Amino acid sequence: MSDAPSPEWIDAYLDQMLVHLDGRARNVRRILAETEAHLEDAYAAARAEGLDPDRAAIRAVERFGAPAAVARRFQPDGRAALGALTALAAAALLLIGVGLVAIGVSGVVSMVMRSTLGSSFVAGDLDGVTYTPERCADFLEYHPEADSCGAAAAAHHADEVETYRVAAGVLGLFVLAAYFVWHRVRPRSGATLARLPLAVLPAVGAATFGAAGVLLSLEGLSVLLGSGRPAGPGQWLSGGVVALVVAAGFDVLLLRSLMRPTPIAA
Amino acid sequence: MAPRQLKGHLDLLLLAVLDGGPRHGYAIIGSLRDRSEGEFDLPEGTVYPALHRLEEDGLVASRWSVIDGRRRRVYQLTGHGAAALVARRAEWASYTAGVDAVLGRIKPARATTRATA
Repeated sequence: MSDAPSPEWIDAYLDQMLVHLDGRARNVRRILAETEAHLEDAYAAARAEGLDPDRAAIRAVERFGAPAAVARRFQPDGRAALGALTALAAAALLLIGVGLVAIGVSGVVSMVMRSTLGSSFVAGDLDGVTYTPERCADFLEYHPEADSCGAAAAAHHADEVETYRVAAGVLGLFVLAAYFVWHRVRPRSGATLARLPLAVLPAVGAATFGAAGVLLSLEGLSVLLGSGRPAGPGQWLSGGVVALVVAAGFDVLLLRSLMRPTPIAA
Repeated sequence: MAPRQLKGHLDLLLLAVLDGGPRHGYAIIGSLRDRSEGEFDLPEGTVYPALHRLEEDGLVASRWSVIDGRRRRVYQLTGHGAAALVARRAEWASYTAGVDAVLGRIKPARATTRATA
């Protein structure tokens, strides 16, 4: 057979091998070149048996074995374990960065809620909560425009909700920036996350942010719909809405990763 | 034979295949499958790490070569590899003789048990 190997399956396989290989560039190149030569031979043999191009390429890569497992056999044990730990640490760093930025965005949402629905909606106190005269004086010093101690306390608490969350968001941007700079400085580290099965990061993100979104939203709704004066449902709802949006983003990534064709499990 | 059972003997089998002359990876795997009459049909990717390990140990040497218009890594036994093959063949012969001896003693006893049951 003179037709070229199907690039879709064999190239995808070689790409998966590459992300799981560590060590000297010369050695990595040799392993990939040998693997490619082998897969081309296996593909040609399968075509000679009458298989169509896709089936021939798929059989070639399946017979070679899962790319992650084959690549692991080329690595000393310690290096393979280190690679797996690095991939998990990178995934955790990325999730932490996204989480912190989401908290920052919820701070911005709190600001919008406050400007439209008032400070009490964001951080009002439960009925019956009282403050000492000294504490009231502190609140009124921060917010002299407030017409009562309770209003000044709500405004102060809303300040804290917004400030701390936005600060967390800025920290998250630094974390994400550090993550991407690291990949720029060390190009091979760009493959770090790809060592994990494709669906792992979106699945963990969707589950974590989805659970957080549901819990925060339920808490906010119970405060909003509960008896008596609503005591700051906005601080919960702002977080819940943002968490659910982030979870939806991870859901889309998860769906894409599950629908993406792979010749053989990583 | 299951790949797990084969794992401990893969080095010996690879050295034995290369005893027949230099070969590239695909040909080594094909030879392994043909000479075992299909018994040793392990994931093909597992052979290459074993070949690399044998090369690191100095038992085989390799070089790039163009065969049938394709660039392939060709492996061949070194002097150390040939000596190691002789030693490992002797170990294997001793091992299998021991196993055969044990199995040979067990077999008649089972037959006797069945006969008396």
